[in-house]
Amino acid sequence: MADCLKDKVGEVLLPGDVFSFESKPEKLICGPGLRRNGDEILVCKSGILRHKQPNMYWIDSQQRRYVPAKGESVIGIVTAKSGDVFKVDVGGSELASLSYLAFEGATKRNRPNVQVGDLVYSQFIIANKDMEPELVCIDSCGRANGMGVFGAGGLLFKVSLGLVRRLLAPQSEIVRDLEKMFPFEMVVGLNGRVWVKASSTQRALIVANLLESCENMTAQQRQALFRRVSDGAS
Amino acid sequence: MEVEEQSIIALREFGCEQNLLSRPDGSASFVQGDSSVLAGVYGPAEVKVSKEIYDRATLEVVIQPKVGLPGVRERAREQCVRETCEAALLSFLHPRSSLSLVLQVIHDDGSLLSCCLNAACMALMDAGLPMGCLFCGVTCAIDPEGRIITDPTAQQEKNSRAVMTFAIDSAQHRVMMSSTKGSFSVNELQQCIAVSQRASEKIFQFYRDSVRRRYSKTL
Amino acid sequence: MQFPSFHVVHQNSMAAGFKTAEPLEYHRSFLKENCRPDGRELGEFRTTTLNIGSISTADGSALVKIGNTTVICGIKGELASPPADAPNKGYIVPNVDLPPLCSSRFRPGPPGEQAQAASQFIADVIESSEVVKREDICIEKGKLCWVLYCDIMCLDYDGNLLDASLIALLAALKNVQLPEVTINKETDLAEVNLQKKQHLNISKHPVGSSFAVFDDSIVIVDPTSEEESLSTSMMTVVTDEDDRLCTLHKPGGTSLSGEKLQDCISRAMTRHREVSKLMETVILSVKPQK
Repeated sequence: MADCLKDKVGEVLLPGDVFSFESKPEKLICGPGLRRNGDEILVCKSGILRHKQPNMYWIDSQQRRYVPAKGESVIGIVTAKSGDVFKVDVGGSELASLSYLAFEGATKRNRPNVQVGDLVYSQFIIANKDMEPELVCIDSCGRANGMGVFGAGGLLFKVSLGLVRRLLAPQSEIVRDLEKMFPFEMVVGLNGRVWVKASSTQRALIVANLLESCENMTAQQRQALFRRVSDGAS
Repeated sequence: MEVEEQSIIALREFGCEQNLLSRPDGSASFVQGDSSVLAGVYGPAEVKVSKEIYDRATLEVVIQPKVGLPGVRERAREQCVRETCEAALLSFLHPRSSLSLVLQVIHDDGSLLSCCLNAACMALMDAGLPMGCLFCGVTCAIDPEGRIITDPTAQQEKNSRAVMTFAIDSAQHRVMMSSTKGSFSVNELQQCIAVSQRASEKIFQFYRDSVRRRYSKTL
Repeated sequence: MQFPSFHVVHQNSMAAGFKTAEPLEYHRSFLKENCRPDGRELGEFRTTTLNIGSISTADGSALVKIGNTTVICGIKGELASPPADAPNKGYIVPNVDLPPLCSSRFRPGPPGEQAQAASQFIADVIESSEVVKREDICIEKGKLCWVLYCDIMCLDYDGNLLDASLIALLAALKNVQLPEVTINKETDLAEVNLQKKQHLNISKHPVGSSFAVFDDSIVIVDPTSEEESLSTSMMTVVTDEDDRLCTLHKPGGTSLSGEKLQDCISRAMTRHREVSKLMETVILSVKPQK
């Protein structure tokens, strides 16, 4: 079982592809795009099969629409205040709720200063298909840990979910190449939203355009492009 | 079912491009000879309360003809495409949300319904929606001499005495959808199904090749 | 003596609760025993009744009941000039109406998807089967032809609309009597002779049989409205008297193997004979009164 899956790691799989257990079932963790169906593993998304030791498998796909998942950090836009919660647009099929108490240091008296239209970097604590998704801006110790309202004077744009995951991967080559050009601030949410702030609007736009264009490029093409741009920018 | 070896499954040249529109969550264009359809998928997105289904996603399909407004014929095609997609999608994974699929006919040169189905499948795949299996559309025409023509052009469809379109699933290669025109015998039907099943293998291989090409840069 | 009757009542209310809470499980438990909640076998149609000539103001009409499903079809002939691209043909214009009266699931307003798809299905069957040859309803090539407006209305919707509509349409077409029309050579005007009426020439008799698929494998015929909504797939097979297929309409849903398909086609052919027999007896019973 694990062998036939392992053989396919790094290959493109399509929905409907099936792997069946040959011998006794082994312990296996199915990530996004894989489903356990009785004695079989069913692929339900198109993409590349990835593997992580010891027995984690998932499909790496280039999707655009975000589906909330527990524990993921996203960039949301506050769209309404209703009673004790803020309604936050995260790009999923419904608005997520964010309690005003879920900020560092917030109490019933000391409400956080959040306005409609603000950007919040926050984390899902409830996200499943049957319940309203819920966000928080604190970690399990009650610390902000980088989360909260942000985004004065920056630029927000959307890229594909696959690119976002590549940006957030440890030692991301794209980020390393970008950093070489000029200093800038960047916030990346797993829901495909990226916020960039640089010393000038022009530079922020350069970063945004570069990210959008390197979606479908090989490493060589990307480096060539970055070199051309940095020659022009400096 | 016997299919004479001489009737080699001849399909016109296929072409497909995924992810070519910037706004939709998934898009694909599918070309079969001169027939061409562009598909866009939005979702899972917010659903109207009146259309909400508590245990699965609501799928809406719209077919836009090349000229004029969609009519009764398009409605009937929409129903066929929608129910085929519903059977392939694992829509219970996104309850209370809406999926919408828009198919724009670019050019009709026969086998239009099968081209719509193929474009729809590629677009759903591009959108990353969970699917239990793939499907493809195959059109067969029976000419006045009783020969079976796969993937006929508009002219061949006009000259034939019966035209059948099937949707075949990738798991067991069985018939998911059938839409026919003209009268035919049971034997002719079974032959056409057998031919379509063989043609579907080619189409699924084509699907695989085009998805592989799409991901080739990120491998 | 009190106890048993109480027990029965209790059991009925249990069954009703089961039906409301788990409709699919409820049906499955019957299908497992090869029968259905209304007592039918899997391959059994509901009682079909037919009444011909129900609307006196129409040129032809028929009323069909399959179980609770009631469909009425009225045909009106009008004169028009033939289409430019086919000057020797007349028009047949079917329309299926699903008014809010027939079921709570239909809303007033423009026809919904199901009604439009049904209209298209009927139009496809007329074209594929050539039930009435369009050449036959042309009066004078390029000048005058009949337009047959076939309005099919559902009065009570309890599933299997397509079968009922097809029987109603066929019976109504057989009932149509059109007056003789001639073109006066001198004035070039149409003259209608209401005294001399003629039946249409029906060249083929298409009859449909609908099937519903449960759990990808169990096939039942003539589904009720409830069975339709719970099934995973629907299919309608239309055959004519020469055992040829006119339409195999399966608008998606779960897939079906070739063998299952063959079983459905065989069942459709027996159904064709049943319906033809019914139609013959009804037509014969109407004749003597005239």
